[in-house]
Amino acid sequence: MAVNRADLYPASDEASGPQGVSYWGNVWRRFRVNRMAVASLWFVVLLILCGVFAPLIAPYGYNEIRLDEAYQPPSWRHIAGTDEIGRDIFSRLIFSLQNALAVAFGATAISVVVGGVIGAVAGYWGGRIDSVLMRMTDVMYAFPGFLFSIILVSVLGRGIVTIFISLAVTSWVGFARLMRGQALSVKNSEYVEAARALGATHGHIIWRYILPNSLGPLIVSIAFMIPGAIMTESALSLLGLGVMPPRPSWGILINVGSINLRAFPYQLYWPVATFGLTLLAFTYLGDGLNDAFNPKE
Amino acid sequence: MSMFILRRLGQILLSLVVILIITFHLMHAAPGDFFNIERLANQQITGARLSQFEEKSPTLMMWEERYGENTPVWRQVLIYVRHAAVLDFGPSFRYPDTTLQEMMATHFPRTFILAFLPMSLALLVGIPMGVLAAVYRNTWIDRATMFISVLGICIPSYVIALLAIVLFAVTLQWLPTSGWGSWEHVVLPVLAMMFQPVASIARYVRASLAKELNEDYVRTVFAKGGDRNQAIFRHALRNSLIPLLTISGPQFAFLMVSTAFIETVFNIPGLGKLFVAAAGTRDYPMIITSTLFFGFLIMVMNLLVDIGYALIDPRIRASYQRRR
Repeated sequence: MAVNRADLYPASDEASGPQGVSYWGNVWRRFRVNRMAVASLWFVVLLILCGVFAPLIAPYGYNEIRLDEAYQPPSWRHIAGTDEIGRDIFSRLIFSLQNALAVAFGATAISVVVGGVIGAVAGYWGGRIDSVLMRMTDVMYAFPGFLFSIILVSVLGRGIVTIFISLAVTSWVGFARLMRGQALSVKNSEYVEAARALGATHGHIIWRYILPNSLGPLIVSIAFMIPGAIMTESALSLLGLGVMPPRPSWGILINVGSINLRAFPYQLYWPVATFGLTLLAFTYLGDGLNDAFNPKE
Repeated sequence: MSMFILRRLGQILLSLVVILIITFHLMHAAPGDFFNIERLANQQITGARLSQFEEKSPTLMMWEERYGENTPVWRQVLIYVRHAAVLDFGPSFRYPDTTLQEMMATHFPRTFILAFLPMSLALLVGIPMGVLAAVYRNTWIDRATMFISVLGICIPSYVIALLAIVLFAVTLQWLPTSGWGSWEHVVLPVLAMMFQPVASIARYVRASLAKELNEDYVRTVFAKGGDRNQAIFRHALRNSLIPLLTISGPQFAFLMVSTAFIETVFNIPGLGKLFVAAAGTRDYPMIITSTLFFGFLIMVMNLLVDIGYALIDPRIRASYQRRR
């Protein structure tokens, strides 16, 4: 007679899902239920593909000027119309994805690595490093990041590198806080003690025990930082403090559209619609990941 | 309590000094300055075209002398602090004929209105929305409210502003597209700024009220014969509004800073627009003074929130007194 697993492990928690399924399998199972999140995931994949293969997809170059085709409304030739010097707005939109995604993923990656390492070290060792870090995060929390970005632009000049730096400087604190909390909650657990007793080094403990334990919340907060980064990039570009023209950016396209709002409102529709959809998709993706990683709520 | 306020004021002063020193050094770390930006150099200093490698012209040296740019940075900081202490911030590079305190006095009220009105309206709209969503959890009311608030959180105010301009100013022609002066100019900017705080307040109230409604004391209200309105409004809501105060401080600060976009979109001559323009031209006095001003405002807001927190919640008041 087959042994019933439930009899053997009566205390096994139901939240972890069916037996024999891995942690990631469970996360995926819970994520899949949320249709909005799955649709958002596909949309984000599509965006990334569009950004990567932009030169192949875009029908025109981002700075291909055709003065005889200026100010055209949307048509089959230019599906989003053309701007004041005859550049195809749809092509510029595709190319501005490159900027937005580079900033979104690049700046997020830098913040995660820097913040994660500092937070893990501070939480793991505690003491003076920890109190210095916490004082710093308090100051950074009180000071809006956008103010700092603008100051940095005035010092370093505009450009994508400045956006990278200012986003990284202002957002590593959040990740540091998160990792510190995780490190604090894990470092006194029995399995870490066991590892230490077996002679594991500090680096090994952080890498093998603290990091995997914090992966869930880390992924969720990464998913929530990405739309913020995209927003900051386009906001700076909107104010004329972001990427350098003639390179396109959502912010620049929206700004141009807003200037010609009265006479040529169609210039605004595509940039605004795609921008809104993208932010919405990333937010729903983050929500879905949050539900998948924290099933208790 | 007064000890607590004094200590916090001291911290604010210290933070301002730190911000001042960091901004001063950042400003001078990069090569070039206001007088070296070629375009402006051509406009304002006749015949003073120079790159940083060329020898300085007498005109440029005169300008640097006049603004004290040729003294060491630490002395500039001290000179600045001495004058700032009596609220004399001097002229900016770009507008040499007025002082910064005069410019602040004319520009800041507009920015304040643009941050204060949306914040108060957002509280008026967001709290009822959150209550509705929490009480009718998992019904269509909840889902509709939460969908609106997701939109509000992830669509930035300048995009909403543009859509509002297209609808109300261009298509319907009810309100002006841009400018400042009459009440009509205020409506669209405030509407655009409102979405984000309404959304986050509604989400926050929904989450905290839903949690409070599950507490034992709410069940006690029902057990003693209280009705649902009494349970929600007399008991649960009051407790769930206390943490709301914590987020309204940073929220207000965020609105204050994001007026920069709205002022740009609606062409309103406010402090945010001034600050952004100063960043583009490296107008140091303007950047430093407005950074300090924004920083001061934000920290005072946070302090006021903490004081309000203590006034409302006796548990927190007690903890302040114990620490003393």
